[in-house]
Amino acid sequence: VSSRTDELVRQASSVTPEWLLQREVALCPCGCIGKRSKVSFIDKTISGASSVLRQALFTDDIATRRGLLQRLDPRVKTITTLAIVIAAALVRNIPVLVVLYAAALLLAITSKIPLGYFIKRVWLFVPIFTGIVVLPATFSFVTHGHIVVPLGHWFGHRVGLTSQGLRSAGLIVIRVATSISFVVLLALTTTWTRLLAALRSMLVPRMFVLVLGMAYRYVFHLLGSVTDMYEARKARTVQADNVVRSGRAFVSATAGTMFGKAHAMSEEVYQAMVSRGYTCQAQTFSAFRIRAIDVAWIACCALSIVLVVGVDRAIGR
Amino acid sequence: VHIPDGYLSPSTCGTLGAAMVPIWATAGRRVRKVVKSRYVPYVALGASFSFIVMMFNIPVPDGTTAHGVAGTLSAILLGPWAALIAVSVALIIQALFFGDGGVLAIGANCFNMALVLPFVGYAVYRLLSRNMTLTNPRRALAAGIASYIGINVAAMCAAIEFGIQPDLFKAADGTPLYAPFHMSQTVPAMALAHLTVAGLAEFALTFGVIAYLQRANVPVLRINHPDVQVDGVMPERRPLGWRWAFVGLGVLAVLTPLGLLAPGGAFGEDTPANLDLGKYNLQAVPTGLARWSAFWDHAVLGGYGFDSGEHPNISYILSAVIGMAVIAVGVYAVFLVVRFINRLRNNDDPTRAASASP
Repeated sequence: VSSRTDELVRQASSVTPEWLLQREVALCPCGCIGKRSKVSFIDKTISGASSVLRQALFTDDIATRRGLLQRLDPRVKTITTLAIVIAAALVRNIPVLVVLYAAALLLAITSKIPLGYFIKRVWLFVPIFTGIVVLPATFSFVTHGHIVVPLGHWFGHRVGLTSQGLRSAGLIVIRVATSISFVVLLALTTTWTRLLAALRSMLVPRMFVLVLGMAYRYVFHLLGSVTDMYEARKARTVQADNVVRSGRAFVSATAGTMFGKAHAMSEEVYQAMVSRGYTCQAQTFSAFRIRAIDVAWIACCALSIVLVVGVDRAIGR
Repeated sequence: VHIPDGYLSPSTCGTLGAAMVPIWATAGRRVRKVVKSRYVPYVALGASFSFIVMMFNIPVPDGTTAHGVAGTLSAILLGPWAALIAVSVALIIQALFFGDGGVLAIGANCFNMALVLPFVGYAVYRLLSRNMTLTNPRRALAAGIASYIGINVAAMCAAIEFGIQPDLFKAADGTPLYAPFHMSQTVPAMALAHLTVAGLAEFALTFGVIAYLQRANVPVLRINHPDVQVDGVMPERRPLGWRWAFVGLGVLAVLTPLGLLAPGGAFGEDTPANLDLGKYNLQAVPTGLARWSAFWDHAVLGGYGFDSGEHPNISYILSAVIGMAVIAVGVYAVFLVVRFINRLRNNDDPTRAASASP
């Protein structure tokens, strides 16, 4: 039944057209003209909102493709992803983590995720945050130890980059990248509804899953009204809008209005639920079935995790 | 303050995650008791609201923008328990769907931003806005200050979580395995970032939203303040309750381990052996001091540690816990004695006894 429903869903849902998922070149404030101006908070919020929408559309497209990870039962996929992320957290050697990251890339290819997008999504984030944060840790001020790149003397002490510091920084960067990669793999190959259903069958209370699902749905609704408010403001702005004070007042007013809307909406949703027979009992429908491919996948993951952690401990340090 | 996977050890994540489970359960029960069957839409829309508010860019001077967490704001509008669930759900959606903040670190992130931030912020807000009407402008200011304090305390928690990593988890050659910075580095770094940019953004957002709702939408503010008078003069000024004393003592108790960071000792508390005699122009330890300083050497936890001197940090914290327990028992005993004497005196006094039981 499950595969038949999936087939119907796949046929019914059309794929998002290419142009909708691309950024508009002409509207970009930098680039084409070669002059970069500071982006106002309005543009930042509008583009942030649209990138959330773009990501949601893109995820839905990828999750309906026919790839390796898309075929798996979402429960199996969620548990194995968690296990792999824990294994990545336990590993203490950079080469082992590199192998694990290569495995993530391989899974991305077999799941028909555009490789460029997958790498960019992880590595655009990692160097900006993690890299800058751990950079000072390579110096002997922070991580004491064996100096490999001497940078002179400071009050009689030798200072420089220590091997311990470099290894620690490398370990964190590659571990963060590997963990994010596997979580992104899970998020990209599973539609949100299937992910929620998986959570529900994994001892997460039903009420909590219901809240998660409804929150996710109304994020997009509220995002729509926020975008409307910001676009209205942008449309009425003649000059470059850089007055911080009025900007803050506008942001607070938008947030306040949004809370009012959210509260009114929750009341309406509640009444709609009651009129459709809601009695505080969440009824759910689950049609998941463990198939041979899932069993094979579990065995494969368990073996790899044992292998990865075992090799890591054997290398030592 | 979003912590990604890889910065904290699995055991730290596991501990904080396990600590959050009973708290989530309690929060669910408390919220359901108040909003009853409205629970799901009420909390879900609150979560959507927190998710989107976390996306807002708040302009701060010099053309830069910053994000707020708005935990205190959610707590003021929805109540602290509902805010706990709403912010947690928003963080879980961010982690699972956007890879923003780790999946293993969900427990740690929820602890900092969904538990510590709203509860500290809400406690400060309640304390500051005690005798104010709902539309009092100072109430918005109280909310802003509360959010500023809340986000800084949450950042401090994150800094402590980061800071304990290099001491607890390192390889044989001293390579830190997780976050590499010590607490003496993480605490100032996080404090600097949150006392300035992030704290101000949070202040501006919370203050602005409450001030806006006071002008434009008072009924929405009333949801979580049903018994606060809207305007005019408050009829009675309530004195500060006993509970705040416990809150203050609790905060002090939680901060006790910070003593481990302090270098050196307090002036005038050195043992004779540690005394720098030359500094005070002395040739020898004064005889009276030498004689009486060793008068009592039967302390149970001498020097805040075990006799063997092992595990100095654990024994220090254990000493603190035992000390607090002993003081609490002592104070309670005094309280019982005082109450007992009061009862005796009331019984002896015939006029009081007569008025009490006619």
